[in-house]
Amino acid sequence: MSLSDIPWNQFGPINHFPTRQHLTSGLYPQHPHSPAFIDPGFSQISGTFYPPGQHSYFNMNALSTDEMETFQKLSNEFQANVQGPAVSTRQSSGAIAVEYANADPTFVTKTSALAVTHPLSRTMKGDGNCGWRAVAFGYFESLLGLQNLMQVHHELVRIKSLNVLLDQTGQQEHLYEIFVDATEGVFNQISEAIQNGIQDETFLVNAFNDEYNSNAIITHFRLLTSAWMKLNPHRYQAFLSLPLDQYCATRIDTVRTEIDEVGLQALVDGVIEASGFAVEIMYLDRSEGEVVTPHLLTPSRLSAATICLLYRPGHYDLLYPAEPTVNMEPVVNYQYAMTSNYSPWDQGSLAFDVNTSLMSIPNLMMDPSFGMAPSPMPAAPPSPYSVSPPLEVYHSPMHASPPPMSLASPPPPPRISAPPPPMSSLPPRSSDGPQIRLNPLVMKNNLCHSLPVTTPFKNSPYNQAHFQNQDFEPIHWEPSDSRR
Amino acid sequence: MGSQKRIAKELAELVESPPDGILVKLADESNLYLWKVYMEGPEGSPYHNGKFLLNLSLPTEYPFKPPTVSFKTKIYHPNVTNDDKGSMCLGMLRADEWKPSSRIHAVLEFARQLLAEPMPDDAIEGRIAEQYKNDRKRYDEVAKEWTRKYAVESS
Repeated sequence: MSLSDIPWNQFGPINHFPTRQHLTSGLYPQHPHSPAFIDPGFSQISGTFYPPGQHSYFNMNALSTDEMETFQKLSNEFQANVQGPAVSTRQSSGAIAVEYANADPTFVTKTSALAVTHPLSRTMKGDGNCGWRAVAFGYFESLLGLQNLMQVHHELVRIKSLNVLLDQTGQQEHLYEIFVDATEGVFNQISEAIQNGIQDETFLVNAFNDEYNSNAIITHFRLLTSAWMKLNPHRYQAFLSLPLDQYCATRIDTVRTEIDEVGLQALVDGVIEASGFAVEIMYLDRSEGEVVTPHLLTPSRLSAATICLLYRPGHYDLLYPAEPTVNMEPVVNYQYAMTSNYSPWDQGSLAFDVNTSLMSIPNLMMDPSFGMAPSPMPAAPPSPYSVSPPLEVYHSPMHASPPPMSLASPPPPPRISAPPPPMSSLPPRSSDGPQIRLNPLVMKNNLCHSLPVTTPFKNSPYNQAHFQNQDFEPIHWEPSDSRR
Repeated sequence: MGSQKRIAKELAELVESPPDGILVKLADESNLYLWKVYMEGPEGSPYHNGKFLLNLSLPTEYPFKPPTVSFKTKIYHPNVTNDDKGSMCLGMLRADEWKPSSRIHAVLEFARQLLAEPMPDDAIEGRIAEQYKNDRKRYDEVAKEWTRKYAVESS
């Protein structure tokens, strides 16, 4: 990190930073992984330059060359002191809601809803690799969850065959083989576990908390992504602000550079997609709405497993939905017809390639030089159909009419008469009690109005059910309640 | 462990086909992580005819952290600390710019290239960098003198 890379606010005394009370004014709440917040280690460093109590901002001109050099050295050696395991155990998503309890109301609403739709989550260490780690871990965990030995073997062969991409982009085997070895080691562990009837993923968590192993696997996935991008530049270049080779060298091939939307899409396209798994992101931000914004990175299709990421600005974690997302009806991405059992249309007939997944990422601007309207991407992406009219013959045989192109016409929301469950999580199911099976569609977009998550005043401290209320009394859910 | 396997292969490659003007060997046969590098000053630079000894030390986390390179032979250069450490830390040698797919071969070529073309804007010795930019003649003289004094074997 060079001096110029450090946000200026890091040089200010720590007291200048907004305290938690001010956070509701719109800043994201402080959470332990956010790199944007001052790390205690850094404040110690700045302490050597500021006498205690002196509240002036850092002035570059006032420093001598020697001081500048000292500063540069400290900044070069600075490493964010991030605590916690690289991959945590599964924990209640209610913890996320608690973390945001004092934040902007949008966050409060969304995190409360999230704890119901996705009761479990797994945090990733915010060390610059969280996005890479979340996808890699989610991939292996999904593979273990399917308990299919043949599929594990098939995936191992497939991932190893991707070495061809590395060779094609000039990577040398004696440099990358140790990364592939580490990945293969995890595949073997999964095979062994399945053979021994082990479903518990603790061994995977341990494998990803071993520093060497974890670094090697992530580097392997990074290299594959980089090679994939270099071999498919037309799919990604238009979305990058710098030449693709330079992007790969500075953002993908490095050790601790956070993944961005384009890199994540390339990772999914190049490494994950052929597994048949779906990858979905839940965006937790201050955008309008009462639930996190879902975005599917893989084509809409039936998938045996879904890797579900929670995205907060600058950080990725893993989420686990209340119900298995098997056969989840796609809602967001309609670039393709509903099924894809037929061969894809010939993209070679276009003058350029269209990365439909990237084009549908909310707010990801297209480069004007791409040759299309340089407007921000709307929620419903422009259909590639318009570029290639003959495509319209490819409507799914399973659907008489084309799939809805916008989110404005959802199917009627199912009626749910159950009382609101507690805010933090679904109660544990008992075998004799009634089971509420929420259709996954219920969780989507404007259908969420039917969700029994927010009743009036639910998020107000004046409500007794709010944990900040003086007479706080948690809502108790009784299995018999739903029979009324 | 994977990193030893890789270091051994990289070393074998470097011994078999060393880059121009560079020779490497282990400082101690039993330790893969500490190398001695003999580097000839590139032609056209004030370091020409000098033979510099460098230490290359590989962290246990290699290749996820970069090697560290230091000049054991005293050298007058804006990017090498002018002390008994002789350390050099810029470009690909920085932890945040390092790529695990880079090889030591490239590190050594990078170090030698730096002798031919110093990077005064990324200097660790600000005074030498100033001189390199504003009074190249004087810089050349001093660098040559130091090379004669410290980097030429008196045989």
